Amino acid sequence: MDTFGLKIIASDRVFYEGRCRKLILPAPDGEMGILANHENMVIAINVGDARMEVEEDSWVDVAVGAGFAEIVNNRVTVLVDTAERPEEIDVRRAKEAKERAEEQMRQKQSIQEYYRTQASLARAMNRLKVSQGKRWNL
Amino acid sequence: MANIREIQTRINSVKDTMKITNAMYMISSSKMKQAKKKLADTEPYFYGLQGEISRILRHVPDIEHPYFDLRENIPSGERKIGSIVITADKGLAGAYNHNIIKLEEELLNGPGEHKLFVVGELGRHYFSKHEVEIDTNFQYTVQKPTMHRARNIASAILDKFKQGELDEVYMIYTRMENSVQSDAEKVKLLPLERASFSHMIMPLSIHREEIELYPSAESVMDSIIPNYITGMIYGCLVEAYASEHNARMMAMQAATDSAESIIKELSTLYNRARQAAITQEITEVCSGANAQKRKK
Repeated sequence: MDTFGLKIIASDRVFYEGRCRKLILPAPDGEMGILANHENMVIAINVGDARMEVEEDSWVDVAVGAGFAEIVNNRVTVLVDTAERPEEIDVRRAKEAKERAEEQMRQKQSIQEYYRTQASLARAMNRLKVSQGKRWNL
Repeated sequence: MANIREIQTRINSVKDTMKITNAMYMISSSKMKQAKKKLADTEPYFYGLQGEISRILRHVPDIEHPYFDLRENIPSGERKIGSIVITADKGLAGAYNHNIIKLEEELLNGPGEHKLFVVGELGRHYFSKHEVEIDTNFQYTVQKPTMHRARNIASAILDKFKQGELDEVYMIYTRMENSVQSDAEKVKLLPLERASFSHMIMPLSIHREEIELYPSAESVMDSIIPNYITGMIYGCLVEAYASEHNARMMAMQAATDSAESIIKELSTLYNRARQAAITQEITEVCSGANAQKRKK
């Protein structure tokens, strides 16, 4: 099977650099799959769960933050503010962050604060989801 | 010549100061090591982000987006100019803070209504004594820059820009050239200027690859630009943090060196004074003895 060059850059490190067979990204309107020789495109990425197949039948889960991906000439560059493997996620910290965000959501706050809390809640829930590996296997 | 005890106290006080400057040197050098590592870790993201945006703009030149709105219809005297000024939380860092303040004052002398967002205790104190409008809700420290803080700063700034409370946003920080040299620098954050991204002028005959923006150009820009601003702010915070500690390290090194030379000088003086005192005592004893001898 054809492969494409993939580079995942998070704000604090280069998360992955190498070849990849399939990549699934969380776009704002649903998941988006990328195979080799994909059309040139720039995709917005939401907070969510990305998956990549580096070798046949071995998928790697990645919890990603907001950002974007660029596909040019069979090379994919993913720039996101955070990227973590399930085993790297600190579940306790994520739980605490979720509780904190939920508590703040209940209080009166400005719209701007609301968006900020919503974003941190989304990040925390995504981390928990990816770390628990809960998935609806179809 | 000063008396022996005075010199002795002076030497001791210089020694005590030297202990402090030496300790601060150690602290700053270890903090700078951390900051440098952080800087190296973020650099791929920072430059990647800039590269990608310039690439997108090159391929899709006709994007209309609020963040690119130059608001040229507002005359230069009425433009609301915000600047994020990054100083240190304390002094004792050589010319580090002064360079930043000097650069900011140059900007303040220009036309427009200025509003300051000061990061760092020292700058806040300085500008609060001058007649400038400072955002008082903007209380961030410069210690240990985090992505979280950058995100907060970016969202506050973007919000003000969108609501028209700010027309231009600058960032004033210190960039680290290398371990010896660092310069205060002014960067325009908003509105984004196309010219600053496209360094390369492409001839018309070259084939441009088409890049599709998914789901739409606007939604892609909506998700990229806040990230870009956050990334810029984070990068600047880390740069400034590293240069602050570099400046402090050098200042403390210089202070320790000069303390050493002062101690050396003072101990020569001290020894001379001691010798003089001894000589005088001997002369006194001798002349006393001589006088006694003559009496007999």
